[in-house]
Amino acid sequence: MAFKLTEEFKARAEKVCAKYPRRDAALIPLLQELQAEAGYVAEEGMDELAAFLGLPYARVKAVVTFYTMFNREPLGKYHLQVCRNISCHMAGAPGLLNRLREKLGIEEGETTRDGMFTLSAVECLGACGAAPVMQVNEEYFEKLDEAKLDALLEDLRHGRRVAGR
Amino acid sequence: MPKITIDGKTLEVAKGTSVLEAAQLLGVYIPRYCYHPKLSVSGNCRMCLVEVEKAPKLLTACSTEAADGMVVRTDSDKVKTARRDVLEFLLINHPLDCPICDQAGECGLQDYYMDYSRAKSRFAAEDKVRRQKRRVLGPHLVLDNERCILCTRCVRFCSEVTKTSELDVMERADHSYIDLKEGRSLDNNYTLNIADICPVGAWTSRDFRFKSRVWFLKKAPVACLGCATGCLAEAHHNENVIYRLLPRPNAETNTWLCDRGRMTYKAVQAGDRLAKGVIKNGLIDLEPALREAATRIDEAKAAVGVLGSPWLSVEDNAALALLAAGMKTANFCFDFKFETGIADGILVNKDPSPNAAGAARVKAVRGGLELQAFAAKVASGEIKTVLAEARAAGLIKDALKTSGARLITFATNKGDIPAGAYATLPYASYFETAGTFVNYQGFERRLEPVVAAPEGVKPFWAVVNKLGAYSGVLLRLDSADDAMRGLEKK
Amino acid sequence: MDNILLKDKVCDLPGYFAAGGYKPLKKALGLKPADIIEEVKKSGLRGRGGAGFPTGLKWSFIPKDAKGPRYLVCNADEGEPGTFKDRELILKNPHALIEGMAIAAYAIGAETGYIYIRGEFAAEGALLEREIFSARAKGFIGANILGSGFNFELHVHRGAGAYICGEETALLDSLEGFKGQPRLKPPFPAVKGLFASPTVINNVETLAAVPAIIAGGGEWYAAIGTPKSTGTKLFCVSGPVNKPGVYELPLGVTFRDLLEQSCGGLKEGKRLKAVIPGGSSTPVLTAEEAWAVKLDYEALATAGSMLGSGGVIVIDEGQCMVKLLQVLARFYHHESCGQCTPCREGCGWIEKILNRLECGRGTRKDIDTLVSIAEGMTGRTICPLADAMAMPVISFVKKFRAEFEAHAAGKYCPPDAPVKR
Repeated sequence: MAFKLTEEFKARAEKVCAKYPRRDAALIPLLQELQAEAGYVAEEGMDELAAFLGLPYARVKAVVTFYTMFNREPLGKYHLQVCRNISCHMAGAPGLLNRLREKLGIEEGETTRDGMFTLSAVECLGACGAAPVMQVNEEYFEKLDEAKLDALLEDLRHGRRVAGR
Repeated sequence: MPKITIDGKTLEVAKGTSVLEAAQLLGVYIPRYCYHPKLSVSGNCRMCLVEVEKAPKLLTACSTEAADGMVVRTDSDKVKTARRDVLEFLLINHPLDCPICDQAGECGLQDYYMDYSRAKSRFAAEDKVRRQKRRVLGPHLVLDNERCILCTRCVRFCSEVTKTSELDVMERADHSYIDLKEGRSLDNNYTLNIADICPVGAWTSRDFRFKSRVWFLKKAPVACLGCATGCLAEAHHNENVIYRLLPRPNAETNTWLCDRGRMTYKAVQAGDRLAKGVIKNGLIDLEPALREAATRIDEAKAAVGVLGSPWLSVEDNAALALLAAGMKTANFCFDFKFETGIADGILVNKDPSPNAAGAARVKAVRGGLELQAFAAKVASGEIKTVLAEARAAGLIKDALKTSGARLITFATNKGDIPAGAYATLPYASYFETAGTFVNYQGFERRLEPVVAAPEGVKPFWAVVNKLGAYSGVLLRLDSADDAMRGLEKK
Repeated sequence: MDNILLKDKVCDLPGYFAAGGYKPLKKALGLKPADIIEEVKKSGLRGRGGAGFPTGLKWSFIPKDAKGPRYLVCNADEGEPGTFKDRELILKNPHALIEGMAIAAYAIGAETGYIYIRGEFAAEGALLEREIFSARAKGFIGANILGSGFNFELHVHRGAGAYICGEETALLDSLEGFKGQPRLKPPFPAVKGLFASPTVINNVETLAAVPAIIAGGGEWYAAIGTPKSTGTKLFCVSGPVNKPGVYELPLGVTFRDLLEQSCGGLKEGKRLKAVIPGGSSTPVLTAEEAWAVKLDYEALATAGSMLGSGGVIVIDEGQCMVKLLQVLARFYHHESCGQCTPCREGCGWIEKILNRLECGRGTRKDIDTLVSIAEGMTGRTICPLADAMAMPVISFVKKFRAEFEAHAAGKYCPPDAPVKR
């Protein structure tokens, strides 16, 4: 597949580059832009971005694989990211994760067949005071319990509450 | 200049010297994996931790600059414990495949294990982190990620030395691994240096893998004859077989050795190695081949041309010069003017021959034609029979083609024989016989034989000596040095 | 006393301005940079990110005669488990940070600043972008600020998911478009930081305190808290308490006051077992130790722990300490950057042993091995992530050894039951 950065993307990218004295500092923001468009960072995207910024491919790949927020493949419409660190753990995160596994029929790292949900267990989301917390795409849902979780899933299935990818 | 005390010994060092380097100067060895004198300091392996007076924590000797009055201990219990711990950490996820690992015998893990390790593994109950094993990555290398200790020497080598940046560490924590673009080959003409600097058996040479255990190998100093740079090298050999060439780091020419140069030893043991003469395309014993060649030379009389070679030693060029003098021909040439200088910014020279400067020494004594004039005489038919080393003959191949002049050539390998050569005489390679070469900077490299030549194959000067004898020119050469003495006598 | 940072009705520029915002900036621009640094030194303000380094001193490390650009970086990569104050501060009082950065930049001579905010805080990052835009429109950010001739451009830079980027040199690498891996020191960022230029990196809470210090004076600020731990601190309380959340209190407040007065005590029926006082990396305190401790740099150090980021994690008797340590080990294993051998290999090893111990397949010897691995990691790496793993391991085992031994003896806790709340 021949993937090409669009001229529109390149124009936006130049503005991002202008925020830094060195172009390569724009690598992470531009990977984020790529991911925002496609939902994930494709191999071809890495190639194109490496060429655009004048970087070795290996550096781009190293960065993409180092940071957890870069997806290497397409995810479901809703990325359910359940925090399982200490405060959320004490507040019942393991139960929430179990419930999601059961209701969706998938394990962490998997996507439902209908492409609606991808389930992930993540480390501290930095909202411990409102534990347990789950991030859906870019939005936080706090102080969850089973009832709230069920209602949220229902809403998401009907396209309410969170913009899909 | 800062004065530093290490294990009770005091030394004044240049500003900017690291504790590790200072220790080295004092003869104190500090174990290390990630540190390499020719690469940037990354300080990640943590093996070189030392105790520095007044520092609250142990410091890495590689990244700590020697300061005036600094007092360092490399042998305290605290340091020994740290080394033992770091080594244990390195080994927990390392596979136990020393019996089938090519690095065995020159492995940093094995070496230090004997010095610092706990006797018994405490990791037995855990599953090791599994990584990809045995991947062929490029023409020369195999990567075993499971053996890798992530010292990043290879990554830094590719970014700092070759500046090709093919490699990086992917992922993070204990599942991180070295990789390059999928499907891409690691091929930058310096890749075998990666196998050298890899302190463990992660990167190994495809050429050398499983050929010999390193402890059987003997080391002989040689120089690479792959180009005019004339890198110092080391031939590793055993029982008359050469197994690999490694760089012999030195201040004048090279720290590294290029892949192409490293492979030059292969011709010595190649299947097309010439042990006999060749007339037209047929193999023939040396003596009849010499007789035939001599007959053709006699036929041509004064129309014989002798071409020296920048691929031959100074002595062997001298032998050719003596032969030309004995034949009383003015048609000889030791003039090879190549553009010189480093072509790739690292080692490869613009001049592909190893001894243009050495041939020039013969020219300085004997004079002779310039290469162009020699070629012109061949092209015009004035020179009817050319005597030339195979690769040198390649330099005048257009002229040979134009006139159809008869070519009597000298070659070590069949593959080197120029098309249309009438007769070819075999000679011993410079891994098998002594010779002097002069690199582009004027540094002299004296080569000594490492292995014996195939039976019946003689040094170049000896072949010339015999050829002379058959043509009625008595050179009386008993050694390469005789040729030099003859040259000086005039 | 009134809050300095967490105030109402200051979440946007009109509100902040109405409450006297940006007057300190105007005042600061009339002072000499050295005088501002002096004032901050006088205030006793210390880094609120975790290390507690004196802020004014940090600023003064920028070489006076350095040519070329200097940078000011705000560390908003809040990721230490149990810590959620910076997010709250950004949401409630973003201009305190923006103004604080403008003042700090003027003090150190930086014309460019970056707020490095963790990638998950997309909404907070967008909010900061908007509020910086508003501030620029009013001339508080940008060229020739308030006619003073001082220029300061401020950018928001989002991270992409790596706890280690909270370490200041890893943050710099990340900001430069690399993997976030801590750098060897020296050189220190003040000399060679972002883009190899002199750089100051401060936490959100630290920078947000600066306008108040300029407005009220260093001495006023230093009078709050204890003599060595001055000012207010944002304490993030999580765990089974009635009102978890972020509380701004003077340093030196007792844990008891924080828990009982601010947080309304433990949830009904819960009894205190332990407290991790300063984010997950800090050594755990037993209930007994916690009830007696004051929350400031010195008192917590005396108690064998640290103030850290102020992330107070309350643990009740119903929790299994082996399980909680396993949760933390999984986290540190996941977040080790992989650079230094002891951390890269040790974190994973510790997690593997805890995985066995937690489900009853471990041995008593494993418990000693855990401590020995942790000791082997301590102080042997480029950055403190290895120590951050080791401190909980050592303190959990030391203070709750009986629970570990019970697990080793096969009396382990039942697997995670679906939670009922």
